[in-house]
Amino acid sequence: MEQTNIPETVPSETAPEPVSPPVKAMKEKDIKSVSVKQRVTKIFVQFVLYAFLTILAVSILFPFYWMLISSLKTLTEYNEMIPTLWPKQFCWDNYVTAFTGELDLGRLFLNTVIVGVVSTLLSLVVTIISAYAFARLEFKGKNLMFGALLATMMIPGELFTITNYITVSAFGWLNTFTVLIVPFLVSVFYIYLLRQNFMQIPNELYLAAKVDGTSDFKYLWRVMVPLSAPTLISITILKMMGAWNSYIWPRLVANDAAHKLVTVGLRGTAFMDLATNMVNYPAQMAAVVIVTIPLLLVFIFFRKYIMRGVSRSGIKG
Amino acid sequence: MTKEKTEKPVLTDEQKRIRRKAIFNRYKAWLYLLPAIVILLIFTVWPIINTIRISMLRNYDSMQELGGATFEFGFGNFAAVARYDKFLTCLGNTMLLTVITVPISTMLALLIAVGLNSIKVFRKAFQTIFFLPYVTNSIAIGMVFMTMFQMIGRVESPVSLGIINTIIEAFGGTRVNWVNVGSNYWANIAVLSIYIIWNALPFKILVLLGGLQGVNKQYYDAAKVDGASRIRTFWRITVPLLSPMIAYVVITGFIGGFKEYSSIVGIFGESMGPVGNKGSLNTMVGFIYDNIQQNQGRASAAALILFAIIFVVTMINLYVSKKKVHY
Amino acid sequence: MKKKIGAVLLAGVMACSMSFGLAACGSKAKPDFVMPEGGFDTETPVTISFYHTMSSSPTAAGRSLQEVLNSAIGRFNELYPNITVDHQQIGGYPEVRDQISKELTAGNQPNLAYCYPDHVAMYNVGNAVQPLNDFLSDGAYKNEKVTRADGTTVNLAMTKEQEESFIPGYWQEGYGFGDGSKMYTLPFSKSTEVLYYNKTEFDKNGWTPPTTWDEMEDICEKIDAKYNANEQSGEHVYGFGYDSEDNWFITMCEQYGSPYTSAEGSHYLFNNDKNKEFVTRFADWYDKGYFQTRALYGNTYTSALFTAATGEKTLMCIGSSAGASHQLPAADDTGKYPFEVGIVPIPQVDTSNPKAISQGPSVCIFKNEDPQKVLASWLFLQFLTTDIAFQAEFAICSGYIPVLKESVMRTNSVYAAELDGADGGAHIAALSVKVALEQENSYYTSPAFVGSSKARDEVGALMQAVFGKTKSVDKAFADAISECEYYS
Repeated sequence: MEQTNIPETVPSETAPEPVSPPVKAMKEKDIKSVSVKQRVTKIFVQFVLYAFLTILAVSILFPFYWMLISSLKTLTEYNEMIPTLWPKQFCWDNYVTAFTGELDLGRLFLNTVIVGVVSTLLSLVVTIISAYAFARLEFKGKNLMFGALLATMMIPGELFTITNYITVSAFGWLNTFTVLIVPFLVSVFYIYLLRQNFMQIPNELYLAAKVDGTSDFKYLWRVMVPLSAPTLISITILKMMGAWNSYIWPRLVANDAAHKLVTVGLRGTAFMDLATNMVNYPAQMAAVVIVTIPLLLVFIFFRKYIMRGVSRSGIKG
Repeated sequence: MTKEKTEKPVLTDEQKRIRRKAIFNRYKAWLYLLPAIVILLIFTVWPIINTIRISMLRNYDSMQELGGATFEFGFGNFAAVARYDKFLTCLGNTMLLTVITVPISTMLALLIAVGLNSIKVFRKAFQTIFFLPYVTNSIAIGMVFMTMFQMIGRVESPVSLGIINTIIEAFGGTRVNWVNVGSNYWANIAVLSIYIIWNALPFKILVLLGGLQGVNKQYYDAAKVDGASRIRTFWRITVPLLSPMIAYVVITGFIGGFKEYSSIVGIFGESMGPVGNKGSLNTMVGFIYDNIQQNQGRASAAALILFAIIFVVTMINLYVSKKKVHY
Repeated sequence: MKKKIGAVLLAGVMACSMSFGLAACGSKAKPDFVMPEGGFDTETPVTISFYHTMSSSPTAAGRSLQEVLNSAIGRFNELYPNITVDHQQIGGYPEVRDQISKELTAGNQPNLAYCYPDHVAMYNVGNAVQPLNDFLSDGAYKNEKVTRADGTTVNLAMTKEQEESFIPGYWQEGYGFGDGSKMYTLPFSKSTEVLYYNKTEFDKNGWTPPTTWDEMEDICEKIDAKYNANEQSGEHVYGFGYDSEDNWFITMCEQYGSPYTSAEGSHYLFNNDKNKEFVTRFADWYDKGYFQTRALYGNTYTSALFTAATGEKTLMCIGSSAGASHQLPAADDTGKYPFEVGIVPIPQVDTSNPKAISQGPSVCIFKNEDPQKVLASWLFLQFLTTDIAFQAEFAICSGYIPVLKESVMRTNSVYAAELDGADGGAHIAALSVKVALEQENSYYTSPAFVGSSKARDEVGALMQAVFGKTKSVDKAFADAISECEYYS
């Protein structure tokens, strides 16, 4: 699938322009002047484009850079009045400090991966079938239902915490993986995002499938899901990040060693001097960097797929 | 959606069959929605009902209830919210920040997404960089902003200006008191807006880039053949084709914007304002938080008021997008 | 007055009649805790949970507080092998409070927890904290015995001797709730505020550190005259730094004896002329460049100004006694410090009636339907607070002050050696503990009620607004009061 697509992903602007027959018929002089003018515009546009992207890229890189250098500063240097842009001396000890505590890092990682993978997979399934229902199926009260779904996003979620806590306690779900996975399986944000994507897929395909006698379900998995791969990958990334960063709910409902997540293990006052409220940011940043590395690798891997796009064979615009 | 109008006259023979199917589909759709509905009923709808109940109990507090207290039923909490002398400040800040940041961040994200999709050299490097925010810790981002805008020392004679002011002075400008004690409201809002836009960009780029990947390249090839200019191609092809995704980021952006809270804490701390002006930048959700520990009745009432506002704005958004979005 | 007593009595009778029936209300010492048949069961395994804020990463002393706690639990388990202590760090103090307040609504609260007085005031609204009076030397179970695994039989309750080993001010904090008749917490580890000063520079000028605020003003004037006469930009020398404006305000109220808050009635009393007077005075000092605070200086800890080698600096700093290691300047390659740090008690209004804030965690026990858990929690809490070895290790590791009297603590040789080796260099933590202990009779705590932390936030913000000239004195006070009252 990947190989067959490579030619298609070459951006059309930069692709060598095939000379079409009508152009050939033009006078040679005309062609020359047009192409020179085009080339100048092109270079100018490219220049502006690169300048724009570079400025934004630097501003986006800066916090990341800050995270790295902070993790290598001594606490004294970190607390100096005027922040330094490069550590005076590299303090690798921060990385030692970050993990010489009693944290069982392997377990924390494992728990996080279990929760991240399972909840992402289940969430994708629920999101796909729900979005499909909203995008393709006709049923009474569809718009009302969709409106109601959107409305649930509008109440600050913090208000739900206490009620949900009582609910999961009543279910006996405290300190289980279930409690970390199930309550957040349905994301209205993602259903809405995927519905937008599904609705872009031409109706003709659906009708053709109907004529062929393909069932809805088969059509969903065979046609719609592959066509929406970029959006599904986006959702996967966001959901994984969510598992990696979630803190308040896991801390509340799953505090035991067997289910504790990475953030719960690392955040809080692990690096705080309680007497002065001074945080040992360098050590905290070192911990954050270590936690980030697996995620970064996953991202670099995913980037390949998300940028590559998917097969669009069979679609007529 | 437009199918009914266009297909009806053509598929007269098929029409009956499709209708019969539609009756069956009505139930099938609910089957598809079943898992989502069950989970939402338990973990979203029930808490909302509970929120409404609590909002009607005057000064409800779960700890007091535990201690056996009872609460007067009525609209007292709503009255108490409206009576707060900083209620309009919170509402105003919330709306201002939303109105500023949503259009700017959407436009920027769109330009970046299109730009990323149309370069060749360093393409991979740029794409990787624009994904980095996902793995950059939010604490780091907050701290960077502090160093960029904050002056250290007395405001009259600071010992450190911060990167932004250093750049401004290098170009001959006068430094601005962005976030320190005695800083101007609009300077605060400017910093917050930049911070919020910065935070919002990655998600929007991801969604729009995902959308662009789904766009059929044949449209562009056709435009090329027609000799359409870049700007024309952008407005006539890219924007309409991306309109469902743009509608999505705008609508969810507004909803998120009205729930703005953490960015103000990130820059100004829990005091929700610059030093010496506590609460001057507080938002609706900040107000809810101030009440959530000891007066959940009032917090719930404030949340429902906020909900009503977001609901109206979203309905307007949906109405507009229905007219403009091209599926 | 009479009316109030009557009301309290009536309420008491009503409470009694509701929960136990009128007949049981006769005896005065009606226990809060019902002792199970046979007392504490030393056979059946019992697990208790303990929420705290102790970090698992090592402190400046090279050990983590959790390690110290674990070794104490090890010794505790030799005496009570059937008790399993399941302890966890739940973020910082506000996180512990928020976690427990949610857990209480579902009945999942821990058995013991770190607490500050305002947390306990809040839990008390839900009637969730176990009063400890029954377990004191004059309590209902003063004669109850328990046989430990090493064969010894001891009192389940505190002995008179144990009670008297506590620093009285700390012990008394447990009674600071409601009408003051019940003890709800035991002190765990404490800190106070002390004045750090640049001893080298002071000695050079023949100055002595200030003991009163008037002397503080004099010294600041001298410092300003000496160091800032030909001031270069970015070279200003301040008199002192003070990170916590809220502590400053509350301490000044205590020292002047002017009202701040009260546990009963209309809580917020701080809007008065005396308080406006000292705020105005300090604002004048700020204008003259006598001091800096963390917030006003652009979020920079004033300890960074105190230890600064070049540029702007302070010659004194008022901060937590437990933060001494941050007040020590960086040593050079040969291990020499650029200056020696001196530590003295904070300045007073009236040195004959000194007041200094008492901070740091206490521990409370939550009510539980299983009486064995409550008893096990009590035994554990009693062990932690009275075990000299644990208190000593914890103090050395954290810089906090032990809650037991110095004379008692000195029986621990390691601790005694630490105190005797105190200096203004590498052993600065011991020096700060020593000075903090000298203030033993000055400790105060402000009234705890639901909303007391709001008052603290607001008075801190008020000071910042006046110093930073963003509000007039009257407006700043009025705003703070109206915020407090809206949220009460």
